[in-house]
Amino acid sequence: MAKSILVVEDEPNIVLSLQFLMKQAGFEVRVARDGEEALREVEDKAPDLILLDVMIPKRDGYDVCQTIRANPDWREIYIIMLTAKGRDVDRDKGLSLGANDYVTKPFSTRDLTEKVKHILSGAG
Amino acid sequence: MSPRLFLVACFAALALAALGAVAAGTILIDRNLPEEMAQFSHIVIVYGGGIMFLLVAIIAVLWAYLDHAVAQPLSSLTRGIQTVLYANPEHRIEVDDVHQLGGLPPAVEELVAQLGVARTRVNEAITEATTRVEEQKHQLETILRELHEGVIVCNLNHHILLYNDRALDLLHVGGQLGLNRSLFSFSNRQPILHALGRLTNRLAGQEAHPEGLTVPFICATTDGRHTLEGRMGLMLDKDGNPTGYVLSFKDKTEELAALGLRDRLLRESTEGLRGPVGNLRAAAEILVAHSDMPAEEQAPFKQVVINEANFLTTRLETLAAHYRDVITGHWPTTDIYSANLFNNLMRRLRDERQLEVVMTGIPYWLHGDSYTLVEVLDMLIHKVNQHYGATTFDLEAVGGERHIYLDVIWKGAPIPAHELDTWLDLQLEDAFGRLSIRDVLEHHKTDVWSLPHRETRAQLRLPLPPAVQQGAKRERRRMPSRPEFYDFDLFRQQPDLAEIGERPLKSLTYVVFDTETTGLQPSGGDEIISIAGVRVVNGRILTGESFERLVDPGRVIPRDSVRFHGITDDMVKDKPPIHVVLPQFRQFVDDSVLVAHNAAFDLKFLKIKEEEAGVRFDTPVLDTLLLSVFLHDYTQKHSLDFVAERFGIEVRGRHTALGDALVTAGVFLKMLDVLEARGITTLNQAVAAANSIVEVRARQAAF
Repeated sequence: MAKSILVVEDEPNIVLSLQFLMKQAGFEVRVARDGEEALREVEDKAPDLILLDVMIPKRDGYDVCQTIRANPDWREIYIIMLTAKGRDVDRDKGLSLGANDYVTKPFSTRDLTEKVKHILSGAG
Repeated sequence: MSPRLFLVACFAALALAALGAVAAGTILIDRNLPEEMAQFSHIVIVYGGGIMFLLVAIIAVLWAYLDHAVAQPLSSLTRGIQTVLYANPEHRIEVDDVHQLGGLPPAVEELVAQLGVARTRVNEAITEATTRVEEQKHQLETILRELHEGVIVCNLNHHILLYNDRALDLLHVGGQLGLNRSLFSFSNRQPILHALGRLTNRLAGQEAHPEGLTVPFICATTDGRHTLEGRMGLMLDKDGNPTGYVLSFKDKTEELAALGLRDRLLRESTEGLRGPVGNLRAAAEILVAHSDMPAEEQAPFKQVVINEANFLTTRLETLAAHYRDVITGHWPTTDIYSANLFNNLMRRLRDERQLEVVMTGIPYWLHGDSYTLVEVLDMLIHKVNQHYGATTFDLEAVGGERHIYLDVIWKGAPIPAHELDTWLDLQLEDAFGRLSIRDVLEHHKTDVWSLPHRETRAQLRLPLPPAVQQGAKRERRRMPSRPEFYDFDLFRQQPDLAEIGERPLKSLTYVVFDTETTGLQPSGGDEIISIAGVRVVNGRILTGESFERLVDPGRVIPRDSVRFHGITDDMVKDKPPIHVVLPQFRQFVDDSVLVAHNAAFDLKFLKIKEEEAGVRFDTPVLDTLLLSVFLHDYTQKHSLDFVAERFGIEVRGRHTALGDALVTAGVFLKMLDVLEARGITTLNQAVAAANSIVEVRARQAAF
């Protein structure tokens, strides 16, 4: 069964690319536009990996991350934060609140795709 | 001519005149004697002679009397007055009782007495004035010394008349500026002359200037490496003529550099990006508008898109990295000691919010604005109290890789990120300028978050940059550490641990302590000069519950030992002696387990004083040095510095008893985890582990 990825982003321009790249890599892709939608999607069916933007409407990325980590059933979900916040403190905060990785924008699409492939093959 | 001589002359003249007159009369009478009375001639001469003798005798007696009663007393008065005037103001003028000067001597005496009083008053006034001037001078010196600005006073020839130490620092002069040297040996000339010119013009002008007689100036040190900014003020004499000027100044080098860097970053992130974005846009538009273009013609445009995108990415990273390094100069930040910050906060929380607050852990130096940080933490803790009902909080500073974390810990659940985020828009209660918590965090380029902490607790974490430096002063001097000290008997006499021995190490209460001493010979006359301890409960160092005393050793502190502890005779001279301090310390220890690094050394000093102080230290003792040898037997390095380094405990405190006790406590807590991993969980096991090391060392010592 194909691994599933949830892309949490409100910026259509980057959703376009992420969706395309992940589908190309053979993963099942769902998209959520804000924090609440993201949590609904996770509850609906837990994905293997989340690409999570920090600055999204309603509940922000930190909040989504913290909520997911508070539930032991979702411990296995690998969370990569994708964000324009590039300070050490922001990275520290993201990782402290339970993200597995932290990638700042702009990023190389190839590097990201490789990273996701590696994680999902290693984890599965 | 002295009065006596004058009197002699006068009476001599009088006598001569009288003699002359009588002689002449006698001769005249004798010559004109009628013939018939010629036989009386010799009688006349005899009478004349007799009268003359009588006259001389009367004159002589008169003279003698006047000399004794007038001339001599006058001379004594004169000599006396001269003595009072020129030699001894206390001299008492004495005149013979037999005199004919009437009221003169008592009048003179009165005059002299009054003169004496007047003189004393003048002297007192002078002394008082001098003391006042000294005091003012001292105050001025203190003010000048404490000022963050450099201050220099010059005369109009630019010779330095006065300066403070800060001025030396800012001008980067080692040693002394040298009074009366020219200011221009240290600073460049034109800006100073220009400022002085403006001031003298202003003084000559009719209109009063709103700034008064001061002007701002910017100049550089002569080597051009430092930019100084400050104000010049003109000094006037009482007639309003300029006599010199005062300069007060700060080093603006770093701030100006930071402003310059920020300007450059702004420029580069606007102008500098126009080019690449333009290229990108052109290429993208062409690709879209001419999608029917043959593939080989499209290729260079695609290449432009990729190249420029990559270039922009790199550029952005560089700009962001530089921006992080810019010190925002407008927000006043300083190096802060976390314990001081927490103490301020605790006072607020206890007094105004009736919350129970405990400071734990090892304090750190960090960088920020103390006032707004206290306000922010106060508000956040208040919110936690309101929303989650928590009433007791721990405050702890934790050293991270790039930041010092200020952690607030309470029993309960962490704050959800979205909730915490809404709190950040609250405005500070006492604050100026409608400052929100978020604003303060932005000023410090930081953020807050909340996490679970040790199962049942939660923490709020605020990262802050570490202290900038003032480094050399704060840097822990690597002082020579004490030689390892063993008193094997001391360890073999561990008290009966009974019940407490089987309890888990982590559930016990400890007092981690350290002493400073006059030397290394407890039995050879060396004495304790400082003792400090800190309580460790439930894996927390209770920073607020510490014991720290200086002790009068009742002997001179050897110079050699001062480099270990920095405590001088002066510092301990009013302190209580050991037999007063030790019972206080014993009370502080209560039934806690004692912990020290190289405990045998400190304990030996305590034991020797037990009788004198009337206390006994019979509680169990753990030695972090022995535990370190037990845990890390691959190395010989077990001094506190090395052990702390091995456990990743940053040592910034000075070599004080309390500083070392805190570091030892930090080490000890980390050791408990490692000991647990090695299966050592009870006090009995820990004591056994330490004893095994003592036995090894004892056998080594036997050879």
